[in-house]
Amino acid sequence: MSAGDAKAPQAAAAKTVPAGEAAASAEAGRSAQTPVGTLIGLLVVLALAAVTRVLDKNVPGWTEGTAFGEVAAAIEYPVYAIVLGLVGNAVLTATGLRDRLSGAFRTEFFIKTGLVLLGASINLAVIVTAAGPAIIQAIVLISAVFLFTWWLGGRFGLDARLRALLSSAVSICGVSAAIAAAGAVQAKREQLAYSASLVIVFALPSIFLLPWLASVLGLSPEVAGAWIGGNIDTTAAVTAAGAIVGEDALAVATIVKVTQNALMGVVAVALTAYFAFRVERRADARRPGLGDLWHRFPKFVLGFIAASIIATLYLGAVGSDAGKEVIGTVNDLRNLFLILAFVSIGLEFRVASLREAGWRPIGVFAIATVVNLALALLLASLLFSGFSVT
Amino acid sequence: MSESKALRRDEPPAPSGGRALRINEDWAATIIGLVLLVLVLTGVIPVGVVP
Repeated sequence: MSAGDAKAPQAAAAKTVPAGEAAASAEAGRSAQTPVGTLIGLLVVLALAAVTRVLDKNVPGWTEGTAFGEVAAAIEYPVYAIVLGLVGNAVLTATGLRDRLSGAFRTEFFIKTGLVLLGASINLAVIVTAAGPAIIQAIVLISAVFLFTWWLGGRFGLDARLRALLSSAVSICGVSAAIAAAGAVQAKREQLAYSASLVIVFALPSIFLLPWLASVLGLSPEVAGAWIGGNIDTTAAVTAAGAIVGEDALAVATIVKVTQNALMGVVAVALTAYFAFRVERRADARRPGLGDLWHRFPKFVLGFIAASIIATLYLGAVGSDAGKEVIGTVNDLRNLFLILAFVSIGLEFRVASLREAGWRPIGVFAIATVVNLALALLLASLLFSGFSVT
Repeated sequence: MSESKALRRDEPPAPSGGRALRINEDWAATIIGLVLLVLVLTGVIPVGVVP
């Protein structure tokens, strides 16, 4: 989560308390962050990541032969990381330290670095082969879910700007899309806070629910990955759910989600133009150009593709067997950054967010999520049923 | 509540500042990720050293 994202829930207070008080509260949260606090926060994140590693490696052995043994063997590292993050969140909130240390809880930075490294474990041919169905799925899904949410928001009587934020968040990539849309339509602070809060509240249970449903439905890893990538809103949560299902599902989920991320710029620019020309009818409005698209483009996508190209060339030069161990080390680094991101998801979660959102945005978001769930499953089954990562 | 305070509720979420931070974070993640990859491939970060 970017710095702007992380601050969004703080702004939600503007809805329920006087504006001056809310601004003061948000300012107090920001001013509570100091370099020393951020350094201590980083140590907390690293310590929880280390505990995650210890639990992931040892719990199956410790519990072997007990009633918990089989369950423990099935638990993947994202579960330990998120649960430890939530426990850390509760402790830091109770002791009043959370805001002071929160400068280090950088989910978006950790996940993007992890995804760039993930590119090295995906052969360029897989990305090229998956790009076609991933782009088709992303275009159909984003268009259908965005328009449905926009229409539903209108039926629920939501303001046009909040409709744009919710539609972007649920159809593209969660908080990042809501931030991009907020800038595009000049949304109010509390509207961004609503959307950011809803994304996080809905994403957290999805991390555990979708891998379980994929197993119940008997989906192949590739279809499960495409479903997870097309449905869960935040990129970090997609990665966590994909990692729970397995390596192949993680690869497809990442390709699908990265494709959606790449299309975020197109939607943001379209929203800018729509609100300038159709909603506000501003006389000084200018037509958006390629520069605006580049400005909105998530640059880590380039790093993800570059890493795949570099690793594919490297393996071609040294041979798969010789390079396997080296790429394994890159994967260890990748997992380290993903664990840091998953711990940060838990540390950033705010229990009060749902209450702050109000029932109408929650209703719109919940219904849109169900539609997204069904449509993404249909598209994933149609487009990825014959696809293989290996 | 004064008028200036009331208006604060309607302020858009500082797009320019937030945007700049996001771009920096995107590029930072890209550069750090690729530098780490090159360090591993060239042997500067040896196999087995990552915990």
